Amino acid sequence: MGFEKMNSKVLKVSVGPGREVLARRGAMLGYTGDVRFSPVRSGGGSAGGFLGSQLSGESAAMMVAQGSGEVFYGFQGLTYAVVDLSGAEMLTVESNRLLVHDAHLNSAIVPLTAQQSGGGFRAGLRSAATGAMTGQGMFTSQLSGVGSVAVLAHGEVLELPVRADKPVIVDPQAFVAARGQVQVSLGANVSFKEARSGEMFQLTATGQGTVSVQASERKF
Amino acid sequence: MVAQLRTNGHRVVEAHLNGDSVKTLTGSMVAYEGKVQFKKASFGGGEGVMKTLKRKATGESLDLMECVGQGVVYLAQMGSYIELIALAGDKLSVESSALLAYESTLSTNVTFAGMHGMSAGQGLTTTSVSGHGAVAILSDGPSICLEVSPQYPVTVDPQAYLGSSGQLQQGFVTGVNWKSLIGEGSGEPFSLQFSGTGRVWIQPAER
Repeated sequence: MGFEKMNSKVLKVSVGPGREVLARRGAMLGYTGDVRFSPVRSGGGSAGGFLGSQLSGESAAMMVAQGSGEVFYGFQGLTYAVVDLSGAEMLTVESNRLLVHDAHLNSAIVPLTAQQSGGGFRAGLRSAATGAMTGQGMFTSQLSGVGSVAVLAHGEVLELPVRADKPVIVDPQAFVAARGQVQVSLGANVSFKEARSGEMFQLTATGQGTVSVQASERKF
Repeated sequence: MVAQLRTNGHRVVEAHLNGDSVKTLTGSMVAYEGKVQFKKASFGGGEGVMKTLKRKATGESLDLMECVGQGVVYLAQMGSYIELIALAGDKLSVESSALLAYESTLSTNVTFAGMHGMSAGQGLTTTSVSGHGAVAILSDGPSICLEVSPQYPVTVDPQAYLGSSGQLQQGFVTGVNWKSLIGEGSGEPFSLQFSGTGRVWIQPAER
């Protein structure tokens, strides 16, 4: 739609009346036409989500682009993947990996562990704690509706299908996004030998959909 | 069927496990399917006591884990390019920092590599992999394979050197002269020269 790949690291987005986009603050590289940028804080989320995001120092500082013209987005030389949402499925993505998305998409910030348990204060605390342990912010944005999303990654992005009979297990630092009816839960390996292999914490993706993984353990 | 390494794009390698194992760099798993266990490779990466002592003595470190089970493991390391090299009974010398994974049919050792280690700051030794199977090596950018033949020796920057295989003699070239002493050197004081018959892999970046 309005998202056009310039190369693997730069994305061109056309902005017009009724077609605003939200982007990560500082990710604008240049623009043509008459475009204005103003800061917004995206995603309300629950009280737990807010508290957790404060604790873990993670927040989705976004800016909205309005007017008419074309904007070039890119961030720190990272690569990105564009996901087109049809309205039937939901994209779960780590909040600080959002490069740009259509402003009319619904978004909410939730702690990762709260996806099944319904959120709230305690889940927020728990999520902040696990985020601190894995060295990875475990707050995710959930996006739904009809539109496009560009997600940041380091290295290449690998899309792996998840089926009911075939769960996919992901290194938390390599997790980029999950799409469809996918539940993501954090687990730890209890065996001492396995802990020493450096793969102690793992995310298990179950359900039906796809999970995106980056070819790197570099966290954001 | 034995475990197999396959590329998936430029920066990801799939390890297909069928009840057996592959050895990989610790922490390089990004995702997996099936039932797979990750173990810190036993004392010295399962190389045995003597080799481990040699490794310890030479400072040629190799931090490996073993992936065992049934399924597919996706391996990647910091978005590096990955080159798969197939060995058919020959030996690959590789910088230990560039070794990502190797099939369980292969064995590793520490070998004396001449003087190049000193200039590259990597110790005087290098890791060698031998046997029948595939090795995955890491490269900062797409790697370049250079053919060496008796008429055409190849000279490379030690910091760009990844590995080599074949019947090669390794030499050491210095470009140090009076200009270097007054700070007017070319910035390439040491080079590695390979002669004989074989292949040398380099990366388009200096460590």
